[in-house]
Amino acid sequence: MTFLPLAGAILLIFIPKERKDIHRLFALFVSLLTFALSLFVFSAFDASRPEAQLIEKGMWLGYGINYHVGVDGLSLLLVLLTTFLFPVAVLSGWHYIDQRVKEYHIFLLFLETGILGVFVSLNLFLFYVFWEVMLIPMYFLIGLWGGPRRIYATIKFVLFTMLGSLLMLVAIFVLYSYYYKATGTYSFEIADLNRMVLLPGVQTWLFLAFALAFAIKVPMFPFHTWLPDAHVEAPTAGSVILAAVLLKMGVYGFLRLAIPLFPEAVARFTPLLMVLSLIGIIYGGMMALIQKDVKSLVAYSSVSHMGLIMLALFSLNQEAIQGSIIQMVNHGLSTGALFLIVGILYERAHTRLIKDYGGVSRQMPVLAAFFLVCLLSSLGLPGLNGFVGEILCLFGVFQANKVMAYLAVTTVILAAAYLLWMYQRVMHGPIVHDYVRSFRDLNLREIVYLAPVVVLMFWVGIFPNFFLRNTDASVQLLLRRVEEHRKVFVLKDKAVQPAIILPADYSQEVKQAASAVFSSNLTPEVKEAK
Amino acid sequence: MNQLASLLPLLIIIAAGLIILIMEAFGRGGSRLPHAALAVVALIGGLIYSFSFFGKNAGYFSGAYVLDDVAILLFAIFSLAGILVVLLSVTAMVEHDFNRGEVFALLLFAVAGLMIMASSQDLVVIFLGLETLSISSYVLAGLKKQDQKSSEAAIKYFLLGSLASAFLVLGLAFIYLQAQSLSLNEITHLSSADLASPVFLVGLCLVLIGFGFKVALVPFHMWTPDVYQGAPTPITAFFSTGPKAAGFVVLLRIFWPILRSELSPSSFPLILWILSALTMIVGNLVALRQKNVKRLLAYSSIAHAGYLTVAILSRDARGLIFYLLAYLFMNIGAFAILVALSSKGQEFHELDDFNGLSLRAPWLAASMSLFLFSLAGFPPTAGFLAKFYVFSQAVKQGLTSLVIVAVLASLVSVYYYLRVIVHMYMVKETPAQVAVKGDNPLLLLIVFFCVYGVLYLGLFPRAIIGLLQKAISSLSLL
Repeated sequence: MTFLPLAGAILLIFIPKERKDIHRLFALFVSLLTFALSLFVFSAFDASRPEAQLIEKGMWLGYGINYHVGVDGLSLLLVLLTTFLFPVAVLSGWHYIDQRVKEYHIFLLFLETGILGVFVSLNLFLFYVFWEVMLIPMYFLIGLWGGPRRIYATIKFVLFTMLGSLLMLVAIFVLYSYYYKATGTYSFEIADLNRMVLLPGVQTWLFLAFALAFAIKVPMFPFHTWLPDAHVEAPTAGSVILAAVLLKMGVYGFLRLAIPLFPEAVARFTPLLMVLSLIGIIYGGMMALIQKDVKSLVAYSSVSHMGLIMLALFSLNQEAIQGSIIQMVNHGLSTGALFLIVGILYERAHTRLIKDYGGVSRQMPVLAAFFLVCLLSSLGLPGLNGFVGEILCLFGVFQANKVMAYLAVTTVILAAAYLLWMYQRVMHGPIVHDYVRSFRDLNLREIVYLAPVVVLMFWVGIFPNFFLRNTDASVQLLLRRVEEHRKVFVLKDKAVQPAIILPADYSQEVKQAASAVFSSNLTPEVKEAK
Repeated sequence: MNQLASLLPLLIIIAAGLIILIMEAFGRGGSRLPHAALAVVALIGGLIYSFSFFGKNAGYFSGAYVLDDVAILLFAIFSLAGILVVLLSVTAMVEHDFNRGEVFALLLFAVAGLMIMASSQDLVVIFLGLETLSISSYVLAGLKKQDQKSSEAAIKYFLLGSLASAFLVLGLAFIYLQAQSLSLNEITHLSSADLASPVFLVGLCLVLIGFGFKVALVPFHMWTPDVYQGAPTPITAFFSTGPKAAGFVVLLRIFWPILRSELSPSSFPLILWILSALTMIVGNLVALRQKNVKRLLAYSSIAHAGYLTVAILSRDARGLIFYLLAYLFMNIGAFAILVALSSKGQEFHELDDFNGLSLRAPWLAASMSLFLFSLAGFPPTAGFLAKFYVFSQAVKQGLTSLVIVAVLASLVSVYYYLRVIVHMYMVKETPAQVAVKGDNPLLLLIVFFCVYGVLYLGLFPRAIIGLLQKAISSLSLL
């Protein structure tokens, strides 16, 4: 499934570039086929099993570098979100993208492979490869079809992301060499590395490197500056994918790697990370309030929403993590939809400034309806998807830290403020500019790609359990592992070895097992003291 | 094992070079295709023949010439570089005023020099190889007789190169003073007291200067940009790959035993550490300011020398050779694109000349992007895996801080590599006078071959890695 879009992209190369419609149709077909396959994955997925399923594994480079993919409860919904949004993205650029149509679709499909690869990789090396590969098409998508400051934006995006991921690469090397020292075998398998317990000092540094990479991607508060630039300059499809899926890769990185690999360090940094997330929530919301440009308003609202997701993630309890997973999907849907709508407006007026609109709802009632639903979903109206995610997140945060939860509620208030105010200025009021009168309402194509998104919003809002139950088992397993992992540090001051490996089945007797491994290297005095 | 036959690959190449010289002397000018064909045949023949010795550790002259597996792999790199450069020269020589058969003879002699360097266990013989290479190189740099820059390149290369050779010889003298031998085998077995003596250390540092010059380590890099820019482009492609590979393998052979942690004189790894970090930082930072792509590639090759030094420091022969192989494909590929951007004695290598290339020559622009992404170290290209192997091994050897310097330096490099792509794809206006040779079949073949190499090494390098692993085991026997 992962490579289907890539195969499509390669086929596209051989279609002559004059046949623009064929490119569009073919890209649509490939992305729909991928979506169909992912639906099949969804139906074949067994929600009661916590570990990865539908695994494909093959030797690749040796030395622990394998091709190893599969989905579990953490990644399933994100995979589905990705495959769902790509056909939408293809449709959204149908007419707007009129130059280099061929390259555009090649890069889009290439991007899809990269993103899916990140979500399904079970091998750290593979994960990193996809994580980096995905930069190349995104770089071109922003740089070739973006707005006036696109080159600045795209280079900023690439350099920011590379800064984080290169340091993460060094951390991966360190991890790899610790694993080798502890076991004498090479492995990049995430499952193997998860079983390794490192001393807190080592964990701290490695965690910081991983966290930097992921925090830039999310983006968390001081690392967010690339986001508004990239969003504003990217073409609609680029913004949609960026907001809806790429940002999730950062959160997913924490969930899949940083938290299970370095629980001790996570515990140490939780206060800092939670405060940063909180600053992100409030700062993002405030910035969104004062934006003049619709697109950057939505971009800052992303910063705010992602802050809530991160806050929930670091609460580290069942509700909060499930909430953050479902909230990732919700944010993907609602922010993606908002970008689509901004794109539709932009195609008509060629401006993104709020003051250039006004009274649009008179000319475009259908758009107004869609816009309102997406808006309400984004600000968390009960019955729509945003509510489910936010309430779970806030419950979870409340269990972890009451003050944080009180402050985090501001996200809802701020969102209501900036979104509704923007809606009011754009859609209502008298028609100030004459060109607004010439706006045509949505055409069939636009309705076709907005409608499924809205349907999903209701679906998640009314039957959240249909999606949520898939994440139960995996989140439980994750939390249990984190807990067992941390039990080892009862012995932390006495350990001589920098790393130990836990038994494969994470037995309940993990403490004894760990002490057994440690004790072989303990000095006699320590043994007696025990 | 002593075997006269093991000398044959070298002899084939030297003989072909001599024949080409005779052909040139008694020929009537005209097409040089027969010369080129002979050169290619000789290189392929030598390569295939040398592979028949794989795993046999054959040699001659009692250890002065050893065709071990590492040497054979290096032969492969030199021959590939040689073949690609011969073909590149064929596409460019008529238009660029170096239409003489000597090009191929000199290239073959240079390759022979490289082979001697890579396959010797005796420092004097290594020096011999180095001089064979250098003298051919000086002439090659100045091939464009009417061009001032080319002549300047030749003179500069010659003067600085001779100075470096002098340092090297002095260094050898110091080493001999302490070790009473110039055979690497015996140096390996020196006592740690000998290794730690100041005389030996001074000798090592002087040797390092001599080879540092050849492989362009900062601060011995000053000649690189000028020579790279002045020399004919195909020749530059050769300079940036062949001599670099040989230089690093010699450094590896010399320092491999000395860097064993329990023996090494404490200050020597530190010197290498500093050189490596300096090279990466200076190479990448100066490259940021270049407006000419050929010069930019020159500075990038300096930066890559820095990454390769990391491999020397962590005694990582596998990573080093893999890196050299990957570098061969991506760099010659990039230079092939530069060759394509030229016509009738004019070269269009300013950044602005690349504007809108993606519209005029989409395939060339796409290939160039691939090479640049590979140089910058993006997966799934050879450049990424090369960096990956080198850096992961270095971290395992405890050089984490150096690797952090390296990845930050390569972050800088991403910026200037991407800038070329920005010019090719994202700047619209096309300079009118720039001619693109997008239809030369030979050139396209070279580009295609390099693209294939970059992707093959990036995606399915298991066979190559296995081969390297086998070859390295012969090295560790030393």
